Amino acid sequence: MDLDALKANLKKDFQQIVSQEELNQLKVKYLGKKGQITELSKNIKNLPSKERPSFGKKIGELRSLYEDLLSSAQEKIELQIINESLEKERIDVTLPGSFKSQGKLHPLTITTKKITDFFSSKGYLIEDGPEIESDYYNFDALNIPKDHPARDMHDTFYLDNGNLLRTHTSPVQIRSIEKRGAPLKIICPGKVYRSDADKTHTPMFHQIEGLVIDENVNFGHLKNEIMTFIDFFFGLDTKVRFRPSYFPFTEPSAEVDIMDNKSKNWLEIMGCGLVHPNVIDMAGLDSKKFSGFAFGMGIERMAKLSYKIEDMRSLFSNDIKFLSQ
Amino acid sequence: MKVLYSNITKAIKAKPKIESLCYDLTLIGIEVDEIKSFQGDKIIDFDLTPNRGDCFSVKGLARDYCAYKDKKFSSVTKSSFKGKTKFNKKINLFAKDACPAYSAVSITNLKLIKKFPDYIKKTLKAAGIQSIHPLVDIVNFVMLESGQPMHVFDQDKIEGDIEVRFAKTKEQIKILGEKNLKLSRDCLVIADEKEPIAFAGISGGLNHSVSKKTQNFLIESAFFSPSIIKGKARRYGFQTDASQRFERGVDFNLHEDALKEALAIIQEIYQADISNVETIKNKHFPKKKVINISIKDVNLKLGTDLKENTIKSILNRLEIKLIKKNKNNLTFEVPSHRFDLSIKEDLIEEVARIVGYDNLPQIKNDSITQHYEKSDYDFINQIKTFMTNKGFNEVINYSFLDRQVLENLDIENKSISIKNPLNHSLSTLRTSLLPSLATNLEFNINRGQNFLSIFEMGKSFSNDTHMEYLNLAGLIYDDEKFKNWNTNQNYDFYYLKGILENLFAEFRIEKIFWKKSQNDLLHPYASADIYLKNKLIGTVGSINPRFIKSLGLNKAFLYFEIKVESLPRNDLGKLIAPSIYPISQRDFSFEIDNKVSYEQIENCIHISSKNFLIGTKIFDVYDGKNISDGKKSIAFRISWGSSKKTLSEEEINKEANLIISGMQKKLGAILR
Repeated sequence: MDLDALKANLKKDFQQIVSQEELNQLKVKYLGKKGQITELSKNIKNLPSKERPSFGKKIGELRSLYEDLLSSAQEKIELQIINESLEKERIDVTLPGSFKSQGKLHPLTITTKKITDFFSSKGYLIEDGPEIESDYYNFDALNIPKDHPARDMHDTFYLDNGNLLRTHTSPVQIRSIEKRGAPLKIICPGKVYRSDADKTHTPMFHQIEGLVIDENVNFGHLKNEIMTFIDFFFGLDTKVRFRPSYFPFTEPSAEVDIMDNKSKNWLEIMGCGLVHPNVIDMAGLDSKKFSGFAFGMGIERMAKLSYKIEDMRSLFSNDIKFLSQ
Repeated sequence: MKVLYSNITKAIKAKPKIESLCYDLTLIGIEVDEIKSFQGDKIIDFDLTPNRGDCFSVKGLARDYCAYKDKKFSSVTKSSFKGKTKFNKKINLFAKDACPAYSAVSITNLKLIKKFPDYIKKTLKAAGIQSIHPLVDIVNFVMLESGQPMHVFDQDKIEGDIEVRFAKTKEQIKILGEKNLKLSRDCLVIADEKEPIAFAGISGGLNHSVSKKTQNFLIESAFFSPSIIKGKARRYGFQTDASQRFERGVDFNLHEDALKEALAIIQEIYQADISNVETIKNKHFPKKKVINISIKDVNLKLGTDLKENTIKSILNRLEIKLIKKNKNNLTFEVPSHRFDLSIKEDLIEEVARIVGYDNLPQIKNDSITQHYEKSDYDFINQIKTFMTNKGFNEVINYSFLDRQVLENLDIENKSISIKNPLNHSLSTLRTSLLPSLATNLEFNINRGQNFLSIFEMGKSFSNDTHMEYLNLAGLIYDDEKFKNWNTNQNYDFYYLKGILENLFAEFRIEKIFWKKSQNDLLHPYASADIYLKNKLIGTVGSINPRFIKSLGLNKAFLYFEIKVESLPRNDLGKLIAPSIYPISQRDFSFEIDNKVSYEQIENCIHISSKNFLIGTKIFDVYDGKNISDGKKSIAFRISWGSSKKTLSEEEINKEANLIISGMQKKLGAILR
C-alpha cells in the first residue's frame, strides 16, 4: 500500500469511530504488531540507503498524524461517555423542593419588635416586670388609691393569694425608677389582663409603655417623641391629633388619635402625658427636681392597624393557617 | 352619659352643628362615644373620664364648652322660691365633713294643674332613666341638667327627725330594687329615729320610697363628700346616677339652688303646699381650694412662651380666679365644681386644654442618655427566632385556663386561682404551657391539619415565692399519611432533642445533661429531663398515652418545656484558631450490653483516651440480626489531633488500644 492511500484511510477511519472499542480496534489496525504503519516501518530496511531518510521522514509524519487523530478521537469519545452517563441523572426540575417550612413569629411579637426596635435605637432600655402584681404597684404607686373611680376603668382580676394580674404595664415604670433612678429612658412591652371580653377586648392583651425621666422634661418633648414614632410606624403623611384625657398617673394627660385615610375617622392609638409628681415622689425621686413623660399603647391595636385584622380575637385563636401566613 | 343635643344647644345659647360641637368637646377632653337619632333629636353618648365630675350634667358640659369657645356662660338660674309652710323636722348632721350641708323641703296636698311636660319625659328617656313618679322625674331631670342628685321620700313613713350619720354595727337597708345591704360602719346613711331611710348619696331605702299612694313628700338635696361615697356602691356591686356623681364630686354650692330649681318646676305644674327650704350647714363645709403657680411653671412644663395675661384670661374663662399676686407667685382660687384641680400641674393642664394640645410646640430632646445595658428581651427574641428557623410557628395563649384541665393532668398543685374569673374555663393560672399547646393542637386537628410544629414563650405560674416563670415550650405532631415526595423526616425524641441541643449550642450553654424523665406527663421510657449542671431546667419527650384522651386528642405528640429564666445569658464565646496539623480518625464497632447508655460509653472513652482526643461521633446503633440477645452493636468514629504536631501512627494506635481495653474492662464491650 502506498503512503498516500494509507493516509487517506487513516483519516477516514478516525472520522467514523463512535466508541472506545472501535478506537481500540483502530489502534490495533495501525500500530498493532501487524498494524499497517508497523508493517510499513519494517519495510524501511529493504530500501536502498539513499531513499531511507526521506521514507523515514514520511513514516514519521504519518505517525504524528495518527497521534493527533487518536487524541482528538479519544477526547471526543470521553466527552460522549460523560454526556451519556449524565443523561441518566436527568431530573424533573419542576417538582417541588424538599423544603422544610420556615416557622413564623406571632404577629404580636413582630409588632412589638417593630416598636421596641424604634425606641431602642433612640436609647431606650427594654424593661420587663412581673405579670402578677401587688395592689401597691398596679394602683397606689400610680396615684390610684383605693376607691378611686379610676379603678373602675380597670376591670381587675384578683388572685386567691392576695395579688392581682397587672391591668397595665405601668407598674414597670415604678419598679424601674426604684431600681435605676434618673435619668431614665425605658420601654416596657408585656402582657396585661382585664376582666373584659367582646369583639374588641380579650381578657389578656399586650401593652407597650415608655417612660422618660430627667430634669426639665416637658410636654413638647413628649409630643416630639410621639410624632417621630407615628411617622416611623404609620408613615410620614399620617394626620395626628392630641386631645386631653385622664390618667391618674399623668398630668397633663393626652390621648393620641390618627386619621384613618379610608374612613376619615379618628382612631385612638395611645395615651400619654407628663408623669404626675405624686408618682415621681412615691417612686423615690424628687418631683421638684425631676419631671418626665410616659406613653402607652395596645399592641393588638397596633397589629390590627398594621395587618388590617378585622377581629382582635383571631390573634389568640392560634389557627396555624392564620399564623403561618 | 347620654345627653340630648337640644338640651346642650339650649344651655350654650347657640346652635353649632352636632359634628362641630362634638369635635370641639373632644378637643377639650370630653370624648363622644356615639351619636344616635332620637325622636327628631339626637342623643350624644359621652364617655366621661372619672376626674371630670363637673361635666356630669348638661350645664357642666356647656360651661366647659363656653370656656373653650370664649363665650359667656350663665350657670344657675336663681329661682326666687319662697315656701308657704314651715319645714317641721329637725335635721342633725352627725357625720362632720362627710355631709356638711343638707337641704330639705316638704310638699303636701299635691294636685296636678297642667299637663306633665313632655321635655322632661323625653330628657329622662334619652338618658335611660326610668320614669317612677312625677316628683322623682322632676328631681332627676334637674339632676341631669345641673348635676345635683336629689331624693324624694314618702314623708309619712319617716318617723321623727332626720339625721345624717354613719351606719351602726349590723345595720341593714333594703334599697330600691329590693336589694338588702348589710352596711359597714364606714357607710353614710340618712336615718329617721328608727332606722336608715337612705344609703346616703347612693340610693334611697325601699321602705321610705314614694309610690302612687304617697300623700306627703320630703325632698332631700345635700352635699356628700366624694371621699365618703367613693367605692361604696361598687363594694355592693352596683352603681347609681347619684353615686357616680357624688363620688366624682358635686358642686358644694349647688344643693340649695338645684332644689329650688326643682321646686320652681313643681310649682309650675302642680298646686301644692310647699314648706320653706330648710338648709343646715356645719363647720366642716368645704372652702374653695387655692393653688399657687408661677408663669415660669406653666411654660417650663409645656415648653411654651405664654404671657401672664394669656394664662390669667384662660383660667378666668374656666372660673379659676386670680385672687393674689406676690411677685412671680400667682394664687388662684378653684371654683366649687372642680374637685379635680388641686396641684399646679392640674392648672397647667387646664391652660393646655384651652390653648389646644395640637397648638402646643413639638421640641426635640436627644440630650437624655443613660448607661447602656443589654436587655433580656433580646435574648428572648433570639430564642423565638431560633425556633422559627427550626420550623416552629409561634403561638400566644391566655395565661389562664380551666382548673379541671390541670386536675386531669394532675398538675393543679400550687396553682393560683382567679377570685373573679370571666368564666370557669378561665379560672386558674396555668402551671405549665402544655395544656395550652395541646388545646392549639386539638383546634388545628379539628380544622384539618395533620402536621403541627408550634412553640410558645410565656409564663407559667406557681404559688411560691417566685410566682411566675418564663417558659419555652414546643410541640410536634405528625400524622401525615402523604408526606412531601422527597421528604423522609422521622419526628421522634431524637429529632426534638437535636433541636434543643442546637439551641443550647447556639446560646453557648454548656453542662447540659439528659436523664430518663421523672415527669409523669411523659412517656416513662422515651422521655428525658434536662439538667443544667444539677438543676432541672426542662423536660422533653412524647406525651404519656394515658393523658392523650383528657387533652381531647387521640394520638401522641412530642413536647418539650424549658425554664428560660434558668438559662445563662452568655456573652460572645471565644473563637479558637483550628490546629494546622491533620486530624486522625479511627472507626470502632463494639457489641455491648443493651442497658449501657451512650453517656456511659462516652465517659469511658474520655477516661480511657486522655491524650489528643478531640471527639466522638456515633454513626450506628443496631440490635437486630447477628447480634446476641440483650446486646447491641454501636459504631463510632473517634478523632484525635494536636495543635503542636502531626500525630504518629504509634501515638494513635496507643490511644485506640486504650479505648478498646477500657471499653472491655469497664463496660464489657467486645470489639467486633
